[in-house]
Amino acid sequence: MKITILNGNPDGRNTDFDLFIEKLSIFLDKEQKKVRHLKLRGMDIKYCNGCWGCWVKTPGECQFPDDSKTVCEEVINSDLVLFASPMIMGFTSALLKKTMDKLIPLLHPYIEFVRKECHHRKRYDKYPKIGLLLDKTGADEEDVAITVSIFERFALNFKNRLNFVEYTTHPVQEVMNEINNL
Amino acid sequence: MKLTIFNGSPRGKGSNTKILLDHFTRGFTEIAHTGENGETIPNKIDLAYLAKVRDMEEYVEMFREAERVLLAFPLYTDAMPGIVKHFIESLEPLCGMKNNPEIGFIVQSGFPEPAHSRYVEKYLEKLAARLHCKYLGTVVKGGVEGIQVQPPGMTKKLFDSFYRLGLEFGKTGAFDDGILRSLAPRERLSGFVRFVLTILSPTGLPNFYWNRQLKKNNAFDKRFARPYQGKVAEVPKV
Repeated sequence: MKITILNGNPDGRNTDFDLFIEKLSIFLDKEQKKVRHLKLRGMDIKYCNGCWGCWVKTPGECQFPDDSKTVCEEVINSDLVLFASPMIMGFTSALLKKTMDKLIPLLHPYIEFVRKECHHRKRYDKYPKIGLLLDKTGADEEDVAITVSIFERFALNFKNRLNFVEYTTHPVQEVMNEINNL
Repeated sequence: MKLTIFNGSPRGKGSNTKILLDHFTRGFTEIAHTGENGETIPNKIDLAYLAKVRDMEEYVEMFREAERVLLAFPLYTDAMPGIVKHFIESLEPLCGMKNNPEIGFIVQSGFPEPAHSRYVEKYLEKLAARLHCKYLGTVVKGGVEGIQVQPPGMTKKLFDSFYRLGLEFGKTGAFDDGILRSLAPRERLSGFVRFVLTILSPTGLPNFYWNRQLKKNNAFDKRFARPYQGKVAEVPKV
């Protein structure tokens, strides 16, 4: 099983968050999972400028060179992508959000109906399962519920579903259990 | 009345959000109010483009000094664009401060259904509460992506609605409920429309907007490309 962890922690001083993910990576590695831990704050990921070049000029990839190509390669070839972030102002970080915006090339501009709604068509045959790991310090239950609902919608548009939501307040083993139960 | 507008579209001055805001502000600035000494004070706007992310400190100051704020953006991957979240995080020091401005939002999407934007709408309402701003509501409008290439007859009703929305906002400082409803008359496409679009799908007509651009860029033959299929990325050391 190949797992990509998108670590959206923007603050290197928040060492607890990074340590949680590093511990999780070690545990997963011991269980023969192939893990790629991408610390997004150290990567050169530009904001999406909405040009749609990835759909109409260079189909399937952003026309501007940055590390989002690495993210796209890892994500689409994974069995599971774990979106990980501290909650900031009631949602996942801007760092993680700008990275999610740059996953658009993995979809096709054409529209299809899913659950009686318009959604983008698949570009690839297979899309990864999706998990969400939150550090909910400073957030309340309503913030978490809103964030989860938005990620459920994102997962639907990403041709899958949100398989689990976990928190850094829980033991790492609990996240392991969620992954092993997929 | 003074309104501070933040255009949160990554396309900035070339955005559909700007076009909608232009019609809104045309209506808003037609209105004037009477001052304490009987003088006429025309409505004014202050406008910032969040796409210029380097100016974020300046935007926070604009927000802090504003009476009323309108934050408008396109729906990106089911929520706000990354630049808008960056702006929101920059406002964190203002949480809990007194006298933060009243705030309203406009969320427009390429998807025709308003339903896609309702999830981020809940976030925005909570954001207003988090900032102790009076929440003025959220305008949700779907089906906006093609407005720059559509003939005037197809956009007239939409642009008129945003003009009237601005006009009423200029008078009352609030969104008109009737206009809000008319911009999002139903949450999802009717079964009939879905049926027609499904029937037309093999003809390529529903994809005309995209196909035209693909052909213009000599990329039509590559439209189903899978550049990352089976690749293993070289991860930069961080």
